[in-house]
This record gives sequence, C-alpha cells and structure tokens, in this order.
Amino acid sequence: MNFYLTYFFIAIGLFGFSALFALFGVYAERKVSAFIQDRLGPTETGKYGSLQTFADILKMLQKELITPAAADKLLFMLAPAIIFIAVYLGFAALPWGPGLVPSKLNLGLYYIFAIISIETLGILMAGWGSNNKYSILGAMRSAAQIISYEIPAGFALISVVMIAQTLNLQDIAMQQGILSPEKITFAGFWDVSSIGGIFAWNVFRAPHLLIAFVIYFIASLAESNRAPFDIPEAESELVAGFHTEYTGLRFALVFLAEYSMMFMVSMVGVILFLGAWNTPLPNIGQVQLATWTTGAGWGILWIIIKTLTLVGIQMWIRWTLPRLRVDKLMALCWKILTPLAFACMLVSGIWRLWLM
Amino acid sequence: MSLVQVLFYIMGFIAVASAIFVAATKSLVRSIFMFFITLFALAGLYVLALADFVAITQVVIYVGGILVLILFAFMLSGKETLNYISQQRKQFMNISKLPALLLAGLFLVVLLNMIFKVDAGNLAWIKRSIENKNVITPNAAMTENIGVNLMTSYLLPFEAISILLLVALVGAAHLSRKEPQS
Repeated sequence: MNFYLTYFFIAIGLFGFSALFALFGVYAERKVSAFIQDRLGPTETGKYGSLQTFADILKMLQKELITPAAADKLLFMLAPAIIFIAVYLGFAALPWGPGLVPSKLNLGLYYIFAIISIETLGILMAGWGSNNKYSILGAMRSAAQIISYEIPAGFALISVVMIAQTLNLQDIAMQQGILSPEKITFAGFWDVSSIGGIFAWNVFRAPHLLIAFVIYFIASLAESNRAPFDIPEAESELVAGFHTEYTGLRFALVFLAEYSMMFMVSMVGVILFLGAWNTPLPNIGQVQLATWTTGAGWGILWIIIKTLTLVGIQMWIRWTLPRLRVDKLMALCWKILTPLAFACMLVSGIWRLWLM
Repeated sequence: MSLVQVLFYIMGFIAVASAIFVAATKSLVRSIFMFFITLFALAGLYVLALADFVAITQVVIYVGGILVLILFAFMLSGKETLNYISQQRKQFMNISKLPALLLAGLFLVVLLNMIFKVDAGNLAWIKRSIENKNVITPNAAMTENIGVNLMTSYLLPFEAISILLLVALVGAAHLSRKEPQS
C-alpha cells in the first residue's frame, strides 16, 4: 500500500512544483520584461515586488466565475482543466536525477509528444465553448500553429532518438555523462566516457544536433504559444485570444498551464540535447569534478539550473522579437524548419551507422 | 478482483458509455469532445493489453491529429449549417437508416458468435506461445520489436501505405495550388 501512497505524494509534489514555478515565472517574466523595456516592473508589494504574484493569485481566487450567457457551459467549464491536466500529465515521465523519475516509461519521449498534442484539444474546447468570435479565431490559430510545428519538433526529436537508440528519457539522460553504459565520443572521434561533463552532452556528441536543438527550441516556443508565435492571443487583434472570456480561477488555470508548458518543453529540450541531469564540469586528470558533482541532489540542481536558463531565454525572446504574421509563421515552419529537421534526421542515421 | 481487472471494467464502462453518448447526443460539438474520452478509454485498454506503443500512437494520431482536424472543419463551417444538421429528423427507425442498422446488427452477430464460440484461454497457438516463452512481459521494450517487424515481415503493406499517403499529399497540394494567371 505504501507503494501507492508514494505515487500520490509524487503527484501532489509535482503539482505543487508547477504551481510554485508559475508564481515564480510570472514574477520573473515581469521583471525580465521591465528590464528589457527599461522599466522597474513590480516594486510595491514585498521587497522588490516579490509578493506581487501572491497578491495577484489571491485576487484571482476571490473573483467571480463568470460564464457568458451564450456559452456552451460544460465545455467552457471543462476546457481550462483539460488544458492544465494535459500539461501536468507530461511531468510524469521527466527524469530529475539518477534514479529519480516519477514513472520509468519505455516510451517516455513518445508519451510526452502525445500529451502535448492534447493541449490543442483543450484550447479548441475553450475557443468553441466561449461562443465568442475572438476566442474561436484564437483557438483556430493556435491549433493550426501547434499542428504545423509538431512536425519539425518531432523530426528534431527523432534525430536524437536515432543517436540514443531509445525512447526512455532516463536512458537518454544516462548516456550523456560519466554514468553512461556505452562509449561516448565527443564529435565522433574523442573518447570521453570517463571525462564526461559538457563534452558528453548530446549536442557535442553529434554536432548536427545543435541545429536540431535550435529547431526544437523554435518549435517549442510555437507549441507553448509564446511570442514571437503568440498570434493565438495577439492582444492587438484578438483581445486575449482563446481565453478572452475566462475569469478568476479558470483564468489562473490557463496561465498555470502556459507556465508549466514553458517549463516542460524546456526540460524536454535539456534532457534530450543539453545533458539532462549531468554536470557540465568534466573530469580533468586527478581533479574528478564530474565524479564529485554527479548524484541525485546534484542532478536536481543541474537540471533545474539548465531548464531555468532555457525558460529565461524564452522570456528574453518574447520581449525582444515582434510577433510573426500568419503566412510568415507557416513559411518558417514548412519551408525552413521542416527541411532542416529532415536533413538532421538523415545526418543522424549516417552518424549512427559510420561514426558511433 | 485484481486492480488490473477493476481498471479494465472501469475503462470498458467509460468507453462504452461515452461511445453511446457520442452516437445519441444532439449537440455535434459535444459529441466530438466526448469521442475524445472514448479514444482515451480505448488507449487505456490498450495499455492493459501491454500494447503501450499502440495506446500512445492512438492518442497522437486520433486525438492530436484527426479529432483536431474534425474540429477545425467544424469551426470553419458556419453555425447555420451546424444547426441544420442537428435539426434533422429524430426518428430512431427510418428507411434511410436501414443499411446502417443492418450492418450494425450483422457485426453484433459476428461478435457474439466469436465471444461464445472461442475459448480464448485454451487456444492451441496461445498455449504453444506460453510454453515456448514467446510472450510479452510488462517490462519489455516494444519499439524495437515493432520496428524490426515493420521492416521485415510487413514491409510491403508498410510501403503501400506510405505510397497512399504520398498520393494524398500530392492531391492536397494540387487542390490548394494557385491557378496560373493566363
């Protein structure tokens, strides 16, 4: 029975983590945007405005849940829950450190890929349920965007899987450090199995994966509906896109999903390309930096640092680049990213056959 | 009853109940969203049958692809069309539904026949596989197995499907192409 209790604790812990991360993420987003636009951001509530998001969430919890008279009540109510649960389910397969993974799935990566696509359905549900033309336009743009960008993202992921020869995220993570069960080579010629560190990360094991990583990162921005791909909620055209009609707790849930999604796609990127929970410090002769900094606790620290760096870059991009037009967005996906991703997949096959 | 059996019955119930709702409801959009639950329950049943790859593929293709495309077509068509469709004749039995009823009835006969005639526990080939240890365990990695089989025993059907999809793609590209200005 203890067995099941652990499952519940881990599930609740992951939920708590995603809620805390959303609080922190909104605060960080405001401060980053303020820094980039030469403003101050929140300053009043708490030291440096650090309690601002707590105040905001308290306000949200007290607000009235308004359901528009013409809305499809059931779909309108369920949509935010589905959007959030879809993202939250993905956390089940993500490894946090050596031996620390909520669910040891053989098909971890494929599972996450499937889960991400469910979010689209939640967004379409929200758009249709609201019975508002802005919501429905936002939902349709979002669905079109997510379906298109799944293709380059998928092929970028496949090029990693071809190198790693497994879909199990924990195994992929294990292969990128000193704990690897097989021989690792830096760029195909220098044996770094016992040196580890940054040289053993997937992007350096096979350098073409650097391109695959950039493709995946761009596609993941589009999948989490972040600028410059935020046409689904383009404020200047669509009020707030698919969540125009939402208030209070439901609105909070949509935001929770967005920030959890940011964290999840970044973490998947880190696991596949940037060495997962492995340390960036290599073993140098007698100075066994990699051996000293590998372990469950260190793993959590490294993966969180790397993931937060990627989330930071996502925020940086959001507040720097302007929004893409719809046709430009599709041209980027189909004419640039998809052929490049195909090329990466081809190179991966050749690399695995002849250089590993 | 073991936990697996309990889960099987729960998911079976969800699948059947939501499928009945899909067929019976007046609101077309709700029936599509309910279909999503049916597909999910089916994916759960596949997992219980140790076919986790099939389960996830089901979610990727049906939920992430086909269902979203159906909804897309829905949202592109006007409300009037949708209202017209949902206000069609309500009778359960009428002459235009005869082929569908006939087909469903025949399928039911075949299925019932199968269930009552086949003693699944005592089939010869199943017994042989158990004796030869040619079975899948819950921890087995299925992906390699599927990949090898697709590239060896089932290569011809696999290639035939890929040509079919290519034809569909070329057709779609042709239909959406701009006419040359003459």
